[in-house]
Amino acid sequence: MLAKLFTRFPSLFRRWVRKHQFVEFDDSPWTPFTGRPSDSRVALITTAGVHLKGDTPFNMRDPAGDPGFRQIPADATAADLKITHNYYDHADADQDINVVFPLERLRELAQEGEIASVSPRNFSFMGHIVPPHIHTLMNRTAPKVAGMLKEDDVDLVLLTPA
Amino acid sequence: MGLVQRVIEAAGIPTISVTLSRGISNKVKPPRAVFTGFPLGHPFAFPHQRFRQLQLLRLLLKSITTIEEPGTIIVHKLVKDEDPEHHCVLCDGIFTED
Repeated sequence: MLAKLFTRFPSLFRRWVRKHQFVEFDDSPWTPFTGRPSDSRVALITTAGVHLKGDTPFNMRDPAGDPGFRQIPADATAADLKITHNYYDHADADQDINVVFPLERLRELAQEGEIASVSPRNFSFMGHIVPPHIHTLMNRTAPKVAGMLKEDDVDLVLLTPA
Repeated sequence: MGLVQRVIEAAGIPTISVTLSRGISNKVKPPRAVFTGFPLGHPFAFPHQRFRQLQLLRLLLKSITTIEEPGTIIVHKLVKDEDPEHHCVLCDGIFTED
């Protein structure tokens, strides 16, 4: 209900953001991108709760969220994927998964030579992670994904929220 | 999502994200982000807008080559809203699909 209101009335969402506590930082980490996209292997990561239909859905029973991740192979199609996430209105994304996770479009860019390739492993998290799971996310699951991206020689990562 | 982005960037892989909230991004400070004004649940526009989805991916790929300052949020409005600071240049004239 709140998710639908926030989608429909962005000013309500902005007011909620102003009053809500977030993890805050003074600066940003930085790794320079020195290559060209057309020479790059690109990975797509979302926090929209997307996962393979055969995979374990994100845990909606824990009010602190599910700090785990799901792998999505480069050749996954819209028919292979679904969304488990109760904290945003994904009615439109259910119609077209590319609204939150444009893997099919990214493959088209690879076919056109605008990027070198799509990473063999792409990843999905669930947004809406609050303590104590923020610690798990930042110290365990997100670093594990970073390691897998390095194993796959990924050159750059595109991230999409919901 | 900014938290995951920060961890990956810190591990040595360049990242760029779509942000749906400049308010959140100003606090979490992802290394590079693009704000286009689409509503929550719609980082890549609306269902079956294939051209828009490709355009947004291209915008991210271009922006990662041009952003030089850590923590930059590029505002590139593609939809009209009440935001007085940033005019949506593509919303007038022939680009009225949204």
